[in-house]
Amino acid sequence: MIALLILSPLILLAALGAVWKARPVHAALLLALTLSLGGALYIALGAGFLGLVQFMVYVGAVAVLIVFSLLITRPRDEVEEIARRPKSLLPGLLCTLPLLAVLLYAVGRNVPETTTEAVELPIKRIGELLFTTHAPAVLAIAILLTAVLLGAALFAREPSKKP
Amino acid sequence: MTFLIAQTEEPSLWSPEWLPLLPKRLVENLLEHFNAPEWLISLGGTGAGAATVLAVFMTGFALLSLIERKTLARVQNRIGPNRAGWFGILQPVADGIKMLTKEDIVPAKAEKLLHLLAPILIVVPAILALGVLPYGKEWIPVPMELGLLFFFAVGSLTELAVFMAGWASGSKFPMLGAMRAISQMVSYELPLVLSAIAVIMVSGTLSLPDIVSQQGGFHLGFLPAWNILTPWGLVGGLVFFIASIAEANRCPFDLPEGESEIVAGHMTEYSGFKYALFFMGEYLGLFAISGLGVTLFLGGWQAPLPGLDFVPSWIWFFGKLAVIIFFFLWIRATWPRLRMDQLMRFGWLGLIPLSLLTIPAAGIWSLLQRSQHGLLAWLVTVPLLLVPFVIMTVLFNKRLARSNRTYRFAES
Repeated sequence: MIALLILSPLILLAALGAVWKARPVHAALLLALTLSLGGALYIALGAGFLGLVQFMVYVGAVAVLIVFSLLITRPRDEVEEIARRPKSLLPGLLCTLPLLAVLLYAVGRNVPETTTEAVELPIKRIGELLFTTHAPAVLAIAILLTAVLLGAALFAREPSKKP
Repeated sequence: MTFLIAQTEEPSLWSPEWLPLLPKRLVENLLEHFNAPEWLISLGGTGAGAATVLAVFMTGFALLSLIERKTLARVQNRIGPNRAGWFGILQPVADGIKMLTKEDIVPAKAEKLLHLLAPILIVVPAILALGVLPYGKEWIPVPMELGLLFFFAVGSLTELAVFMAGWASGSKFPMLGAMRAISQMVSYELPLVLSAIAVIMVSGTLSLPDIVSQQGGFHLGFLPAWNILTPWGLVGGLVFFIASIAEANRCPFDLPEGESEIVAGHMTEYSGFKYALFFMGEYLGLFAISGLGVTLFLGGWQAPLPGLDFVPSWIWFFGKLAVIIFFFLWIRATWPRLRMDQLMRFGWLGLIPLSLLTIPAAGIWSLLQRSQHGLLAWLVTVPLLLVPFVIMTVLFNKRLARSNRTYRFAES
């Protein structure tokens, strides 16, 4: 409970910083901070496996990927310019508000029986669930992520000059 | 918290097996003597345990920096440092004082905060990773059920730290070095983790102490039951150690900081103690990753021959660690640095397919071993690993023989 009280405002602050910072690199690093604090929250709530996986996947892979693509493409000036424009606030809100509504609806609709004690699944059970019951979802996400990566690479690549 | 494994206690205070835990237990007993509250006792004990590990590896770092220079010097037919103290034994001290007293320079164009944070963030994950390794039968600083996962999770922070160093310095060599470093670390972390997955599959646990205790015992009365003495373990272990050289940014994979190419890579704009911190992080990371290799593939603290159990188990661990690190020095002394394209091709076309192959091999192995078909397990897994390896080697050599070296930027 104490961990929740300490960590959640920090997470919110870091997330807000990630959105408001004009320089893409700062935003990316703050995003990494947000994600790692989320991992810490998982661990504090007794879901050690999930927390460490969050660390490994989001900080170790996703954040590094973002940072690396920043290094390669160097979007500095234009992105800073766009981020400073107050106009970008409106489309941003238009994109996020429906998402927020959907999330709130989804969370509000299936409020589970609230339990106060943490129920921890053994790791073997998590693995079994992932590779049997939830295997289609895992595969779908894997394919989606691959498609996203390829798309991003195509977009980011400058049109090649023929030698 | 179920995050940690409960430890079994409590033997005689002075037995050699428990020697490394002496500081921890002394602090605990002292606090208990003064009727300190429970949390203070556990805090003090943990602190003393962590201090022991740090003291051991800081000494190891100092010694290794000297031994490395001495070894390299012998290989190159030089003498090496021999001015400070007997055989140069005080050289690390002299280096430390030099580093501490140097001026700390922050470039005018640097991002001050990130520039400061980067060297700290390099050292912290290495120290955290050292905390979960089982050094001996009883000497496990933080006995964690998810130790292996924790090791890789904190290890992933290093890449962000390197990026911060490269970007915050605000000059081009650190930037180029960081780009090289991150692409190399991302590419070589894959085979590293994949070859560890084979071990996880066979042992069925993420806890490092359990992985070590499962490698106990001997085949035929003298062959230790270490993972490296199985077909998948041999391949996985070799892949792991090669990839760990790359993760530690050591020669022949030292492109990110290749002196003759990009000054010192992401460390170029650092001086004084911050530079020393980068160095320390690198060496502690080297200890951690080779310690993990010893744990996963070389049987951790298990004795190499039956009847040698009277030697304390942590001596075996550090002995194996020393052998591995000596191999790394040897490689550094004798191998030329790879080119960027060679590095990438070697990683993605060589190591990753091999480490992917170890996973089915480990699965088949553990299934057949469990159903008492030991010989069949050898007969199936050896060809499964050997045939693709031979094919890959032949293809590699053909490609090498065919392609002429082209100098895109250096032609007159």
